[in-house]
Amino acid sequence: MNGALFAHTWRMQRVRLAVVCLGLLVWGFITPVVYAQFGAQFRMLVENGLMPEQFAQFGGGDIFSLPGAIGLGFIHPISLLLNSVFAVGYSTAAIASERQRGTLEVTLSRPVSRRALYGTLVLSSFTFLAASTLALIAGAVAGAMFEGVRSELPLAPLPLLWLNGMLLFGAIASIGLAASLSFDRFAPALGLTLGVVVVSYFLEVLGSLWPDARPLQPYSLFHYLQPKSILTGHVAASDFAVLTLVLACAVSYALVVFPRRDLPAPS
Amino acid sequence: MPAIQTIGLTKHFRPGRRVPFRPARTEAIAAVDSLDLSVNEGEIFGFLGPNGAGKSTTIRMLLGFLHPSGGGGRVHGLDVVRESVAIRRRTGYLPGGIALYDSLTGEALLEYLARLSDRPAVRRAELCEQLELSRRTLRRKVRDYSRGMRQKIGIVQALQHDPELAILDEPSEGLDPLMQRAFYDILDRLKAEGRTVFFSSHVLSEVERVCDRVAIIRGGRLVALEEVQSLLTRARRQVTLRVAGASPSLTEVAGVSHVEQRGEILTCRLEGDPRPFLAAIQQCVVLDLTIEPARLEDTFVDFYGDVES
Repeated sequence: MNGALFAHTWRMQRVRLAVVCLGLLVWGFITPVVYAQFGAQFRMLVENGLMPEQFAQFGGGDIFSLPGAIGLGFIHPISLLLNSVFAVGYSTAAIASERQRGTLEVTLSRPVSRRALYGTLVLSSFTFLAASTLALIAGAVAGAMFEGVRSELPLAPLPLLWLNGMLLFGAIASIGLAASLSFDRFAPALGLTLGVVVVSYFLEVLGSLWPDARPLQPYSLFHYLQPKSILTGHVAASDFAVLTLVLACAVSYALVVFPRRDLPAPS
Repeated sequence: MPAIQTIGLTKHFRPGRRVPFRPARTEAIAAVDSLDLSVNEGEIFGFLGPNGAGKSTTIRMLLGFLHPSGGGGRVHGLDVVRESVAIRRRTGYLPGGIALYDSLTGEALLEYLARLSDRPAVRRAELCEQLELSRRTLRRKVRDYSRGMRQKIGIVQALQHDPELAILDEPSEGLDPLMQRAFYDILDRLKAEGRTVFFSSHVLSEVERVCDRVAIIRGGRLVALEEVQSLLTRARRQVTLRVAGASPSLTEVAGVSHVEQRGEILTCRLEGDPRPFLAAIQQCVVLDLTIEPARLEDTFVDFYGDVES
């Protein structure tokens, strides 16, 4: 961990972080509003058979309960896109893009070890994701208060929900960083990480919409994000354990590979 | 203790597979091959070679960016592989064609890099003054800087924390002649204060101007390591002679080569002691005689010319 590099990273990302947090705050605010305004109508549509039941349980969330609506908000593509700004965009650019531009060698010509550089980037990305996940939850609480349904939202599980979201996007970010330090150019690192995220998301959504594809869901990282279960008091420690394991594997890979790899002159 | 010492330093690159379904080339390319080098403390050392000779690869191994395939090196007595962080704490580095953070101002960039260096930027004000980087200029974003301005910032960031060793890759690239002179003054001052400068350049006239010793590298191998003066003494000087009447016979004269005659103009190359040459032309009616001073460039061309032939 390097304090000067950490402060520099925050300074360079502060505007982007503010925009993402604002976006997630607004999106988090909208989900309880949609639940309060349209939840009953959606329930009727499903009960009358006008909408398949699977569509109401997209990605483990639903629109008939506040925890379900917040869960849906977490796995909705809008939330995913906003969180991916740091989980995918920042993490994959952090090393590969600096290497491609040539600024990495200016940083590494200082007394900064590669492990310290990587550790600082990991910590930075986790703090960005911590802030963005917090903004999403804060928006949801604010939306629930605005619609007068706050009593349906238990506050005690919120820290666990935050941790679950953090671990998912942290695991994706650590995969992104591992890809970033493995390649000399940004495009392959981004391609690999996006591939993991898109395939993972596809498996989870496919499994939630098509019962025959449900056995594929455990292969998706998104399967281990369970906001609705957490908010209804059904916490599965295994979800946290799997995400922690993925994160630990990516970090271990990076700590072994990065100090040992050659960094030729940028081409 | 030498500031830099390499013993058998070697780096092989194995090209990876670039085209899908085509097997990778397995033969390794030797970028640096058994390089033995010793740079004394307090000297300005020139490191010469054409593109692809292995200069940057050597520098990158000294700083720990690349891991040697064989041999080893020490900087300030510290191992280049195991103690590269400690080496970089005592070293300033200017990469060739330096890339900077465009969104920062010059001032913010220098401050950030000084904080990363763990040492106060004691020389910054002096360097900025010498390179004519005003406060107003430093408050502008790096993206608005010209190439020469970026190079000046690069020089300041490498030297602002007063490192014991400066490794400069093509340092005067992009500088105008006035700034080049200011840069040479900075080097003179560093030398006077006992700092070591490891200097890689294509500009032979500046190497000749500032360096105490030079190493010439070719195809990753060291082909010469000598004092600049000694190289110049051995360098072949161009001689042009205008004579009236019979021309002198120079082909057998010690130190004389490449003798050519066109009319009354006789040209040749002269190496080492000029006295045998002067004795040989003593009997001729010399109308004009020009002996050009030896230039490092000629030595350099000789080294590479030999290979070409």
